Amino acid sequence: MAKILVVDDSALSRKISKRILVEAGHEVDVAGDGLAALEHYALQRPDLVLLDVTMTEMNGLEVLRQLRALDAQARVVMATADVQASTRKMAADLGAMGFIAKPFVPRPLLDAVAAALATPGDHA
Amino acid sequence: VILSADQKDAVTELVNIAFSRTAAALSELTGNRVELAVPEVSAHPIAELFPALGQFVRGDVATVHQIFGGPVAGDAFLLLDVEGAARLVALMTDAGAPTTHMGSSAKEVLTEIGNILLNACLGVFGDLLQVRFTFAVPRLHLESLKSMLDSILIGADELRHALLVGARFGIRDSAVTGCLVLVLGVTSLEQFIAAIEEWAQRAESGV
Repeated sequence: MAKILVVDDSALSRKISKRILVEAGHEVDVAGDGLAALEHYALQRPDLVLLDVTMTEMNGLEVLRQLRALDAQARVVMATADVQASTRKMAADLGAMGFIAKPFVPRPLLDAVAAALATPGDHA
Repeated sequence: VILSADQKDAVTELVNIAFSRTAAALSELTGNRVELAVPEVSAHPIAELFPALGQFVRGDVATVHQIFGGPVAGDAFLLLDVEGAARLVALMTDAGAPTTHMGSSAKEVLTEIGNILLNACLGVFGDLLQVRFTFAVPRLHLESLKSMLDSILIGADELRHALLVGARFGIRDSAVTGCLVLVLGVTSLEQFIAAIEEWAQRAESGV
């Protein structure tokens, strides 16, 4: 089981995704904004980051860019209601390993997390 | 009506999901990427709506008004500043430079944009909250914000409330600021908030 950081500015979404991941046996920490996420990542180096896109202050794509600058091997799955094809492409170009749409449904979320965790570390 | 922190968080997340899907619909329509900021949600007695709206739109506004019915019934308004509305129409029609003077075809396009956006948004509300809405034909009004509000207030009883959802979005380097306003009777507003709380509880518990 993995250490996962959930980054979302919605307390409700943090609770939902944390519940799903904890019930699947993962160890989960949460961050409510991009800066807190970057700080947490630098200190804790979780196995995977589940990252929202539309957030105040720093949006998820910028957080993704900075995470990958911090650690080129960072495993990040985007979890967002922004389902535009352009958002998906931008996230993939920045190194995201998965993309799931809100509202959260357990199976797709767990499948995306499992797929990202199964990818070799030199995926970039 | 004062939303608790948990209610506001749940409403904001629901609206974020609805607006993000709406942005995807707008992106499909215009062929351009839509940048969406986090929506801002607040509830107001209808008589106090004017200052709250001022942070999103001022002066002349293009308003698409849609009446909806069902267990939660009320009036939905999409408000855009006129310049932003003109830019949207220009993007949709490849009409070249946007103009705030709108002919009948431009008005038709704007009404259809409003119809799609309001239906996309209310449709997500309905799906997630398990509430069925019915929709009347949308109508477009081009007038000052004050006149538009006066028309909402005519005949309004003082128990009506407005759920104001402000959204800033950008399309192809053009900033378009607008907001969605749901005007609900006090019973409908209470039912709407109760439905959102139920949705949040269902989502939290996974039932």
